[in-house]
Amino acid sequence: MFGLTWLSALARRRRGPLAATAAGVAVAVALLASIGTFVSSSKATMTRRAVAGVAVDWQVEAQNGSDPAAVLDTVRAFPGVRTALPVGFAATTGLEATTGGTTQTTGPGFVLGLPDSYRTAFPGELRDLAGAGTGVLLAQQTAANLHAAPGDTVTVGRAGLPPVSLRVDGVVELPEADSLFQKVGAPAGAQPQAPPDNVLLVPEARWHELFDPLAAPRPDLVHTQIHTALVRTLPGDPAAAYAAISGRARNLEVRLAGAGLVGDNLAATLAAARSDALYAQVLFVFLGLPGAVLAGLLTASVAAAGAGRRRREQALLRARGAATGRLVRLGLLEAGAVGVAGAVAGLALAVAVGRLAFGTAGFGATPLAAAGWAGGAALVGLAIAMATVAWPAVRDARTVTVVAGRQQVGRARAPRWARAGLDLWLLGASALVFWLTSRGGYQLVLAPEGVPSISVSYWAFAGPAFLWAGAGLMAWRIADLAVHRGRRLLAAVIRPVAGPLSGTVAASLARQRRILSRAVVLVGLTASFAASTATFNATYRHQAEVDARLSNGADVTVTESPGTVVGPGAAAALARVPGVAAVEPVQHRFAYVGADLQDLYGVRPSTIVGATSLQDAYFAGGTARTLIGRLAAQPDAVLVSAETVKDFQLHPGDAITLRLQDGRTHAFRDVRFHYAGVAKEFPTAPKDSFLVANADYVARATGSDAVGAFLVDTGHASPAAVAQRVRAVVGTQATVADIVTSRRLVGSSLTAVDLAGLTRVELGFALLLAAAATGLVLALGLAERRRTFAIASALGATPRQLGGFVWAEAAVVTVGGLLAGTVGGWALSHMLVKVLTGVFDPPPAALSVPWGYLTVLAGVALVAAGAAAAGAVRATRRPAMALIRDL
Amino acid sequence: MSGDRPRDDALVGRRGVGTGTGTGTDSAGPAPHHDVLVRAVGVARTFGKGRAAVVAVHGVSGEIRAGARLALTGPSGSGKSTLLHLLAGLDEPTVGTITWPALGERHQLRPGPVAMVFQGSSLLPPLDVAENVALPLLLAGGSPPDADAAARRALDRLGLADLAAKLPEELSGGQAQRVAVARALAGRPRLILADEPTGQLDHRTAAVVVDALLETADALGAALVVATHDPRVADRLAARWSMTDGRLVVPDGSLSCSA
Ligand SMILES: Nc1ncnc2c1ncn2[C@@H]1O[C@H](COP(=O)(O)OP(=O)(O)OP(=O)(O)O)[C@@H](O)[C@H]1O
Ligand SMILES: [Mg+2]
Repeated sequence: MFGLTWLSALARRRRGPLAATAAGVAVAVALLASIGTFVSSSKATMTRRAVAGVAVDWQVEAQNGSDPAAVLDTVRAFPGVRTALPVGFAATTGLEATTGGTTQTTGPGFVLGLPDSYRTAFPGELRDLAGAGTGVLLAQQTAANLHAAPGDTVTVGRAGLPPVSLRVDGVVELPEADSLFQKVGAPAGAQPQAPPDNVLLVPEARWHELFDPLAAPRPDLVHTQIHTALVRTLPGDPAAAYAAISGRARNLEVRLAGAGLVGDNLAATLAAARSDALYAQVLFVFLGLPGAVLAGLLTASVAAAGAGRRRREQALLRARGAATGRLVRLGLLEAGAVGVAGAVAGLALAVAVGRLAFGTAGFGATPLAAAGWAGGAALVGLAIAMATVAWPAVRDARTVTVVAGRQQVGRARAPRWARAGLDLWLLGASALVFWLTSRGGYQLVLAPEGVPSISVSYWAFAGPAFLWAGAGLMAWRIADLAVHRGRRLLAAVIRPVAGPLSGTVAASLARQRRILSRAVVLVGLTASFAASTATFNATYRHQAEVDARLSNGADVTVTESPGTVVGPGAAAALARVPGVAAVEPVQHRFAYVGADLQDLYGVRPSTIVGATSLQDAYFAGGTARTLIGRLAAQPDAVLVSAETVKDFQLHPGDAITLRLQDGRTHAFRDVRFHYAGVAKEFPTAPKDSFLVANADYVARATGSDAVGAFLVDTGHASPAAVAQRVRAVVGTQATVADIVTSRRLVGSSLTAVDLAGLTRVELGFALLLAAAATGLVLALGLAERRRTFAIASALGATPRQLGGFVWAEAAVVTVGGLLAGTVGGWALSHMLVKVLTGVFDPPPAALSVPWGYLTVLAGVALVAAGAAAAGAVRATRRPAMALIRDL
Repeated sequence: MSGDRPRDDALVGRRGVGTGTGTGTDSAGPAPHHDVLVRAVGVARTFGKGRAAVVAVHGVSGEIRAGARLALTGPSGSGKSTLLHLLAGLDEPTVGTITWPALGERHQLRPGPVAMVFQGSSLLPPLDVAENVALPLLLAGGSPPDADAAARRALDRLGLADLAAKLPEELSGGQAQRVAVARALAGRPRLILADEPTGQLDHRTAAVVVDALLETADALGAALVVATHDPRVADRLAARWSMTDGRLVVPDGSLSCSA
């Protein structure tokens, strides 16, 4: 068993280098296993969260002529259906209410008939705002339009039949109005732009009384949907869940044989989650793969450091008659041992990381997924060991007979890639791909309408990948050139450490520039990877914060119930609540822009930023400061949405007439504004069109200073705690929301997936890699020159003088590497954020630079370099007799 | 190895101690203190421990004075290199003491008063020939232009001027050896220790190297110790110490060597 003898001899004599190689493999395996497992667990989280937000899984609409009762029976009998209830939809010609001496009329709308058990079966569909939760309920915006409150009477128009009057029991919000009023069976492009403004909900029996008479003459105005809740046992991956659910929906439609069509809300939500999941996968590729590549490169350079020794051993074995085949087998054996040891250590590390970062070894993924990732990562580890240990050994065994093993210094020709300008080609290709993909608006995840499968545009990856590789090679070229041609400059720079020897040290560095440049590239690649990952993550976190702030408005938002009139004076009471730093009233009204009803926010431009932050990205055509400044300067200024500008062909300064409801007469009247700019986002505002104007001007024009919401800044106090105290003050008259809770609730978008764990893992690995790249590479390089140092020491060099050699090399590698990393990281961050723009909501105005992390990163690199250099200096202090004896 | 050591070797050592401290040889009276460049008293050097221990040098006492021309001969493995390393202060004796009365403390020897030519290749791979030769001068605190000028003079003397810009990996073994000699001669040493400086050279080139060593030693008034297998080299030096199995065998009983 020569193999075993050989292995145990290796383990005894080359323990350090072998362990270092295995450690490199371990880092790659751990990185892939932990990030991969995290991604599969986060996909499952996405599925769970997406599904949790769906109020009604399926809306099965009975088609004209079919019997709703029969459809209901079929649906109830369908496997996997938990609950199914009929909901009646009837069109009304309009609603009318007389309150406070005035009469308001609305346009056409809908009256829905709900069974008694509907609210318990589908709790997410309605939310109480005022009055009783049962009986006749008005939708919030309808109540605002009619200025009706519980107790008021509403008259419902019926086409061709006399109107009926109903007493309003309560006001509700319809959070899922978009899906509730979807056109079942119509493609996404043919769906209504917005849900109806006027909605009345009545008990099932009452609805039949009112609209059964209408159904006979006008079947087009009345129909029935079966709202269905499913037993939700779904695959973890949103794509698989989507496929499963939409398959079952089609199956039901087949059973219904044309009697009903399925409006598949669950699948629609999963379709969105499925592209989010794909984005998570993309992030994995973008952020995890370079780390693994780096670990592989590190392993390769560690293994390469022992190459000279291995060649000498091979030459010896060959001299004793070992055949090429045996040398190849020994190389494979060594690689296998390193690979297995590295994979085992890496998986152990991944388990430890999982425990530390997520509290479970499996990162919350299913055991099967975790095992799959572990196996895949281990295979990659073996592949790295084969490529870095076995391949060079096999190559040498086949091509090298007796190798002098001479050190390569000095006059080596530039490598072939450098002569061919590969770095420039790569950078050019990166720019080209970036430009080509950016023209399409970075549609990284392609989800074409009506096509069941979605895909990732892997082309977009090529941009950053080429940039990374090209920048790395470019760093090599520049370092090589700088150390070679800039020898004088280098000598001047290292004079402080090397003194009169600086010329000699510079010359020695210049002749070792191949090793130096390689080290600079490794440090640079690691630093740029770490920096761009950190910057991407920081920007992402920042935008998630912005998103939460946008939808919540401020740290804490107090929203007044519709129908209650609270003036800005109420702010004083809120300001007294402990922990409240600032309170800002914002009016919330509705205004007609032409025929379109939009939300209008009345703000105080001078104080609004005291309670919430306005980003430049919220506006177009100017910064937040300039546009709010315009509002302050001109009382009748209004900011409108980009669509409105387009629809009405507005130019700055144009007069624009809006119809606002008068607070005294409740009638809509014309108010003149001047168009002053575009608002794309605004705290508490919806995603679609809205208006922003001066609160004072709106109050004067409408005779009411009623406030819609108070934005509360909590300073350093906990938003949740302050919200609790504010709730105690305002009672039931207003709803209080805090940003911490809101952050958790922001839909199924990727922003909502808690990437904190992934970030921690990745940034931790990046630090580890940075330390290894600088420390290990430097230490190995210096160890290779032990002989040089021993000679210098034997010639009488003092530790200080030897230190000059060592520290100069450490400085060149670290400073050069960090410089390359800074430039590369900067470029890469910009490109990453641009290419991955789809994960950001809203898109970032600028990159958030994580200075703290970058400082730690540079610190880690410097400490690792310092430790390696100090170790080398210490090793030279007492020249090893064995080395001197060789002299 | 220690088992087959001749029995009377111990006597040589003991006698050596006596002569070294007492009667001089052909020098007139006891040497002034500053004249003794290096003095060894009962020096032994053992490598390794226990069963594996190798006694490379044993029971050596003696002194080398200014102007000495000494050949150190002996079969391979007899301890020549080990003794030279000890005399150069590169290694420390396991037993006994070595002092450099005229040169100072151990740490003051190199670079400066003691120059060593190593047996193996000892050029720094990343430095070219001129830089290699100038290095000890720079290490001693010389200015770069002065060091460079001295290096070129030393190379000239050994007929190596053409090689100044070459890298060690571009030299033949003999060329590298001569560069190492040039490096030892470039400074102003007072004790030159050369370990097989002609091992890889043909007779004529070897003669050039020995000439250069002798001339430099004469010019500087330095002592010269050459370890060599080559009788022709040894013959050109005034005195000869020969070694067997780590011990000095001194024909005339003298272990003090001077001009
Ligand atoms: N560092 C060491 N470790 C172990 N043994 C050593 C060491 N250095 C020298 N020796 C042993 O000491 C003895 C003397 O070695 P040395 O190199 O001094 O001989 P030498 O006379 O110079 O031989 P050569 O003429 O071949 O150069 C040898 O047996 C050698 O094996
Ligand atoms: Mg020797």
